[in-house]
Amino acid sequence: MMLKLSDLSEGFDVVYELSVLTVGRRQHEAFLKTLYALKFEHVVRVEAEEDKDIRFCPEIIADLAAGYITDTSPQDVVIMGVQSSEGSNGKTPLLLAEELGWPCITEVTALEPVDEGHLKVTSEEDGHTAVQVVGVPCVLAVGNAPSSYLRVPTLKDKMKLGKKPIEHIVPNWDQLLEKERDVELTELAAVEERRDAVVIEGDTPEEKARQLYESYLKGRLEKI
Amino acid sequence: MAIISREQIVEGLVGILGSEQVITDEQVLKESSLDRYRKYEQVCEVYTQPIPAAVVYVKSAEEVSEVLKFADDNEINVVPRTGQSAIEGGLETALKDSVVIDGSTMNKVIKVDEYNMQVTCQCGVPLQELDDMLRERGYTTGHSPQSKPLAQMGGLVATRSIGQFSTLYGGIEDMIVGMEAVFPNGKICRIKNVPRRAAGPDIRHIICGNEGALCYITEVTLKLFKWQPDNNRYIGYMLDDEHMKLGFDCLREVMVEGYKPSFARLYDAADAQQHFSAWLPEGKAILIWMAEGPANITPAIEAGIKEMMSKHPELEEVDPKLIEKWYGGLNWGPEQIAEEKEEIKATQNIGITTEVSGSWDNIYDIYKTACDRIMEEVPDMTLMGGHSSHSYINGTNMYFVYYYNIVDCAPEEEINKYHDRINEIICEQVIKYGGSIVHHHGLGKARAKYVTEEYGSSYYMLKTLKQAFDPNGIMNMGTLIPLRK
Repeated sequence: MMLKLSDLSEGFDVVYELSVLTVGRRQHEAFLKTLYALKFEHVVRVEAEEDKDIRFCPEIIADLAAGYITDTSPQDVVIMGVQSSEGSNGKTPLLLAEELGWPCITEVTALEPVDEGHLKVTSEEDGHTAVQVVGVPCVLAVGNAPSSYLRVPTLKDKMKLGKKPIEHIVPNWDQLLEKERDVELTELAAVEERRDAVVIEGDTPEEKARQLYESYLKGRLEKI
Repeated sequence: MAIISREQIVEGLVGILGSEQVITDEQVLKESSLDRYRKYEQVCEVYTQPIPAAVVYVKSAEEVSEVLKFADDNEINVVPRTGQSAIEGGLETALKDSVVIDGSTMNKVIKVDEYNMQVTCQCGVPLQELDDMLRERGYTTGHSPQSKPLAQMGGLVATRSIGQFSTLYGGIEDMIVGMEAVFPNGKICRIKNVPRRAAGPDIRHIICGNEGALCYITEVTLKLFKWQPDNNRYIGYMLDDEHMKLGFDCLREVMVEGYKPSFARLYDAADAQQHFSAWLPEGKAILIWMAEGPANITPAIEAGIKEMMSKHPELEEVDPKLIEKWYGGLNWGPEQIAEEKEEIKATQNIGITTEVSGSWDNIYDIYKTACDRIMEEVPDMTLMGGHSSHSYINGTNMYFVYYYNIVDCAPEEEINKYHDRINEIICEQVIKYGGSIVHHHGLGKARAKYVTEEYGSSYYMLKTLKQAFDPNGIMNMGTLIPLRK
């Protein structure tokens, strides 16, 4: 989404400098180098300690991101993902926005530049699509955006740009975890999701298709 | 090219098969004009090949015979197909007003003969369904290509397919027993099911690998093997990418010592990252074996391979559970193809493969020089690598895997700018070093232009077969033997 925004900025007289920040372990660096090859200017890894599980600590992640933005590298727009495979809690963008005192839009599906101080943001809200022009700075949390595949850098760009060293931040974990003590994770349970299913019985595919049409599709098609 | 009009072709086919089996829907016809060799054209829904006059669904060898006689009399090019998983242009309708003969509705398993350990099925039986059914009974065909969720028996035999467990079971040519096929003049021929015979040449090989250019396969009998997955043993080692030559030598060592693992693979670092990036460090190649079979044999194969590999300090053993996990997700079905289509649309990045073979003394040179030349000569490459996945006593294959971004290029031009250029470099290097330009996907139309270099003086035999069995030139023209410009 950031790369698309950057592409679209041509002709708007707006120049975006793209930075990426992640809190993670060394194994994530191979992926981060790909972002250099895709022409991100700054790629930063906050070093997560191997023995500390921070997947369920959105307050700490928000704190680290806010620290980077206020103390190291001021940003106009922060775009955050919400679909990590584990620890996806949806809280981090909101906590970060609160800490920075910036507005936050969630479920963002598209972005377009307007001018140096504004963006056109498309987001999903209660089954509707909202298109808003918002002033920067702001925090945007990506929702179910179409075509969310990351583009692929060429091997030549990887060789040329991928060797740039990743910037590292080593936080004071003891201090951060101390702050976290007010919140204690006491239970974590997976949400059981089930769907009803009907097995269509029939001797031939034709018979099954007919049953599907009669019992399920016909009524719906008639309403269209 | 047909001597009757498009309308007369359809009329004639309806007369033979009835209108329900003759499809003339425009979209179906367009989609039937190509295969996954023109993947980018497929994704963009741009069709550059002549659109066929009809797709016909056949239900018996007799119907195939009638359709072929009609085509032969009227010089209509026909393209035989079953599971549509071809990726070398074999299903392209290269001539105007072609007819695609689809055997996917001939999908009956005729006989599972557990005593004689063989199974007979019609050409449209999907391999996945067949093998799943057999495994429930404790058997397997031993054939497991990546296209297993899509491929059907006729196409598998027509292209001389090979599966992931080939080092133990062999290619499809080692599994076939007897067959039934229909020739362009309508003649239905059956080759009986016997364990072996020495009554002249092995005529099964006129059918196996004919790629629809000589005859239409309607029935196949394959050998059965016992399915004993509980005995499987997995073995894996990582090594630096710069030691790829050693990797090939390790594959050779296992084969030469007489071990028969069911798969034996060597991935270079670039390709390995596509499969094992969750735990394999960047820059590492990987060697993998699986032992399959009776409980007292697989531990012996495992121990033997481990003993040999322990002598190579460059190798670092990996947890066999990681190999077992990878093994569970190897195949490609319709879901993966649909997802790939979306990904290509979104990123304009496309991945293709080309498979070749070579002897132990030239496979590394083929691999290295082809990769180097492609990186040097083709723009916008995003991945260039490959793996060896089928080994023999005298050599192995190389499965080149390459991805590139499609930049400033119309869908119609992509094949010339990238895919054909890469294929050309690979074929040139293979021919230069003395390998084969096709290991198991078939020549199709994509590589037919190199057929004379591939065959050398034996091209006479292939050409004579074509002239003898298809004198009017109606069988999948442009496949095996290129069209005259």
